[in-house]
Amino acid sequence: MTISPSFRLPTLALLGLPLIILPMLAQPLTAAPSAAPAPKAAIAARQAGYKKMGAAMKALNDQLKSGVPVKATMVAAAQTIAATAREQSRLFPAGSGPTAGVSTDALPNIWTDRATFDGQMAKLIAESGKLVGVVNGGNVDAIRAQAKATGGTCAGCHRQFRADN
Amino acid sequence: MYIRLFHWLLVALLAFSWWSGEQHEMEWHRLSGYAILFLLIFRIYWGFVGSSTARFSQFVRSPRSAFTYLQTLRTRPYRATAGHNPVGGWSVLLMIVSLIAMVTAGLFAVDVDGLESGPLADYVSFDQGRLAADLHGLLFNLLLTLVALHIAAILYYLLRLRHNLIGPMIHGRSTIYMEGAADLPVGSPWKALVGLLIAAACTWAIGFR
Repeated sequence: MTISPSFRLPTLALLGLPLIILPMLAQPLTAAPSAAPAPKAAIAARQAGYKKMGAAMKALNDQLKSGVPVKATMVAAAQTIAATAREQSRLFPAGSGPTAGVSTDALPNIWTDRATFDGQMAKLIAESGKLVGVVNGGNVDAIRAQAKATGGTCAGCHRQFRADN
Repeated sequence: MYIRLFHWLLVALLAFSWWSGEQHEMEWHRLSGYAILFLLIFRIYWGFVGSSTARFSQFVRSPRSAFTYLQTLRTRPYRATAGHNPVGGWSVLLMIVSLIAMVTAGLFAVDVDGLESGPLADYVSFDQGRLAADLHGLLFNLLLTLVALHIAAILYYLLRLRHNLIGPMIHGRSTIYMEGAADLPVGSPWKALVGLLIAAACTWAIGFR
């Protein structure tokens, strides 16, 4: 969304205020229970999510490797990756790092360099979203390239923020 | 000569595999693994038809003879014999077996992103592939331990027993053969060629199907 510079700041603020405040009012009522899961639950949930994405990525790559890729399998895999990716970023609450008391490969710099981490998460969501579209398009070469781009965001983030790489 | 070539190529490829794995250069890591697979297939073949000292039947002895051999190490001066001694034979066998296990695990291994995988990984599930990857890493550590033992033993022979095992492994000449105590074992080049073709065909079938 681009903002036209002809708007004056006070006008903008007045227009935008309800947009900001209304969700803030609504959020504690509706989204509070799922907004900040307990650290251990968050770790279990995100690990399950990453496994699901890894398995889906493998399923997609297995199709690409075979001579006759099945489109339905690839579409399902891409949708799993994209849908799960959107869930992951809220599963890193404070205290769910190495100090949480359960085994996790999440490095402490996720929380000290949160902006970069969130940026990587946004990249994953963007690329995996694009992947769904490309897989639906059905061009195998394009799918291969986009699968690689999506996997690249996994690998890139893992090298920065995940132990045992 | 085939065994010496096998040995030093293996050393170089293991180092390269480690490096490429650490650098996430998985295309190179796979190719290096195929090259090791090729060497291993040839080595197994050569263990049955190769020169006398290369054959399993020649150097794989009972554990009892290995212990007996260890006792003889106390007597001085040390007198070397041709080929692997009974303990060295076990060392070779263990290293070859763990290499085969490591390469096999690598063929089925899948990385954490489901992005990179061994050539046979489409036959297994993601979880099984991850297990294979973990085993691949564990077996590498086992192999490093065996290599450390191997080098320690060579240094022991060199420093304590005053017997150089490294030189002959490089240039192929040994005082044992110069004194005429044994004939220098030579493998048939034709059999070697057949082995190279078999190893190439197997590697091709697995890696580039």
